[in-house]
Amino acid sequence: MAAGVAAWLPFARAAAIGWMPVATAPMPVPPKDKRRGHEGLIVLNVSGTKFQTWRDTLERYPDTLLGSSERDFFFHEESNEYFFDRDPDIFRHILNFYRTGKLHYPRQECISAYDEELAFFGIIPEIIGDCCYEDYKDRRRENQERIQDDEETDATNELVPPDMSFRETMWRAFENPHTSTMALVFYYVTGFFIAVSVLANVVETVPCGTAPNRAKVVSCGERYALAFFCLDTACVMIFTVEYLLRLLAAPSRYKFVKSVMSIIDVVAIMPYYIGLVMTDNEDVSGAFVTLRVFRVFRIFKFSRHSAGLRILGYTLKSCASELGFLLFSLTMAIIIFATVMFYAEKGSSASKFTSIPAAFWYTIVTMTTLGYGDMVPKTIMGKIFGSICSLSGVLVIALPVPVIVSNFSRIYHQSQRAEKRRAQKKTRLARIRAVKSGGANAYLQYKRSWLLIDPDEEASKEAGQALVCKTNPNFEMHHHHLLHCLEKTTNHEFVDEKTYEASCREVTLVKQVSCSSSISSSPHGLTSCCSRRKRKTFNVPNSNMSVGLQGSIQELSTIQIRERPLTNSRSSRSSLNAKFEETVPLNCDQPYMTAAIISMPTPPGTTPEGDESTSSTDYSQANIVRVSAL
Amino acid sequence: MDGKRVETISARVDAAVSSPDSVEDELELSAVRHRPEGLEQLEAQTRFSRKELQILYRGFKNECPSGVVNEETFKDIYSQFFPQGDASTYAHFLFNAFDTDHNGSVSFEDFVMGLSILLRGTVQEKLNWAFNLYDINKDGYITKEEMLDIMKAIYDMMGKCTYPVLKEETPRQHVEVFFQKMDKNKDGVVTIDEFIDCCQNDENIMRSMHLFENVL
Repeated sequence: MAAGVAAWLPFARAAAIGWMPVATAPMPVPPKDKRRGHEGLIVLNVSGTKFQTWRDTLERYPDTLLGSSERDFFFHEESNEYFFDRDPDIFRHILNFYRTGKLHYPRQECISAYDEELAFFGIIPEIIGDCCYEDYKDRRRENQERIQDDEETDATNELVPPDMSFRETMWRAFENPHTSTMALVFYYVTGFFIAVSVLANVVETVPCGTAPNRAKVVSCGERYALAFFCLDTACVMIFTVEYLLRLLAAPSRYKFVKSVMSIIDVVAIMPYYIGLVMTDNEDVSGAFVTLRVFRVFRIFKFSRHSAGLRILGYTLKSCASELGFLLFSLTMAIIIFATVMFYAEKGSSASKFTSIPAAFWYTIVTMTTLGYGDMVPKTIMGKIFGSICSLSGVLVIALPVPVIVSNFSRIYHQSQRAEKRRAQKKTRLARIRAVKSGGANAYLQYKRSWLLIDPDEEASKEAGQALVCKTNPNFEMHHHHLLHCLEKTTNHEFVDEKTYEASCREVTLVKQVSCSSSISSSPHGLTSCCSRRKRKTFNVPNSNMSVGLQGSIQELSTIQIRERPLTNSRSSRSSLNAKFEETVPLNCDQPYMTAAIISMPTPPGTTPEGDESTSSTDYSQANIVRVSAL
Repeated sequence: MDGKRVETISARVDAAVSSPDSVEDELELSAVRHRPEGLEQLEAQTRFSRKELQILYRGFKNECPSGVVNEETFKDIYSQFFPQGDASTYAHFLFNAFDTDHNGSVSFEDFVMGLSILLRGTVQEKLNWAFNLYDINKDGYITKEEMLDIMKAIYDMMGKCTYPVLKEETPRQHVEVFFQKMDKNKDGVVTIDEFIDCCQNDENIMRSMHLFENVL
């Protein structure tokens, strides 16, 4: 029931009084009206734009967000209004739907944004009014195609799962030649042989001068029969091998055999085998010659190599109805005009128009404006009808052609767009990844700056905290704290990729440098006080550094690694820092780090700090655990 | 102050230049716009409060932006409340009952007057209205044929899928029952006094008259 007539319900109920005198039984008790005195305006504040409407207007559609009690979740007490943090421009249309009962789709809005708003407010898009529905559906379809395109390219470009079977690898190599060098080589080789084969077929028929012992001119094929036969054999062998390999590698053999490309492959190589099988019999030689015509189908094998050809084929397939119409109308016109011309020219002597089918040839040649002139009308009536025929031919052909052209253009542009998107996607993803890793680095940097703060020195701590607060807004602070809690829970830590890879390699180096640990620790102990100071100085630039200046951070980090005392808690932290900051694999310093970690447990009690040390040793323990596990 | 001001745009067109475009004329002829009397007047004439009149008018105007309801629209609106059956016949009778000046369209004043009687009127007025509804030709008597028409219209609204199954003679039987009750002097017709008398003596009917008083 249209919700608009809900306003007329009081009238319908009142009119029911007309039934009362007729009724023989008592009437049921009317239901209690729950909401009374709730008339009035509702203020809907959508991102600052205030909309107002009657409460009843919204309640016309009780199964949407605004019409049901769901809107109470958005009620803002302080301003006594309903606040929605959504797009006010699109909301205008949604509110108009409540008012007029018709939902319109504005052309300038993005289709997915509009869909999202509709979904949020609980309105199904099917009730878009007829005036806008077609447009909406068209845009939606375009969007879906684009998404599908993206998904397809994703599927083809995704990282190779390492455990693909040989068969799958082969199939992938066949379908996407740019995935491996072998596939590319194979691709070009087959392309070359297709070209060679087609060229041989063509050259075969060129007259090549007189043969020895013969007077007449022979074609090259007959003169160099053996050479051509060998060439043909080679090409067919390659094609056969390729076909068999594809058949072997195909995930669904049945589907592969049914596909167009495989049929073309088969048709390309069958004539050769049939020719081998059949003897050089006079009876079947005619058929044999016909079979050789099929060899020209090899040229269609190029469609695997050319996207444009595939698009053309696809266009013709999709314009099948227009082509069919063209053919049908042409056939009709040909029959009509041929009949007319036949009967018009019947009277003239020695007329070439011997029968209606014979007149077909004239009609076709005239309608397509070829005008060979081998058949011309001689009577006046014939000439008149002939001219009408040629005029109408132009019209009949000109009508469906623009449709086919526009179809081709649409599909071609679509494929161009897909190519462009694929190219753009790479750069887009790279940029997005850079920003994301920037975020991850922010956490690691935060940890560094937090850990570097010397709890002994209140000033530095405050400075550090102040700096931390300045660079990390509230959200980030809590976020980092959350990650920190996770680390504590799991006794593992977040590191960046390179460090992780480096630590993987370290496992092997651990054993090598264990003996040198004692040696390395002593000189570092001497430099402990200097490093402390140095660390403090490094504190400031570190925390002030933005994430993007990774180069300078690395510089500092290298300095820190080299000069940092790898003793006690400091060393634990420093080792951590060294780990985090090592974005450039400093292979030469690997032994230092591992040494530091291993020398950790020996002096646990010499740390002046209380909690920090234990936590730091925990860290180190954790580190040790992690490294050894790796 | 003016009463009804029915502005037909076609009148203005005629007064201006006789346009040769007949199609446009037709379109403009149909654009009848009706503005109701002022709120105060309606308040005085009906028993609705100002707020109630506002609500009623808003609902009315939303469905009929031109300001008047013609019979087709009326039937459409009423049929939406009874989707299983065919409410058009009863809506026709209703329309005639609301269209007190019989000009083929129900304006807002007619609408509101009718509702005022039905929802806020005295029992006498309501019964009067009901009698008016049943009396199709408005001659002051309800004949059996008129009653049968009304009864059939009411049963039509039920539709086919009822329990127990609706039989052909059910409306007729119902009319018989009605006449037995109402027609005191057995002259085959029911007059207004007979009707009101009989209804006032029937408890059920009396009670049901007060059923819809809190509708608005």
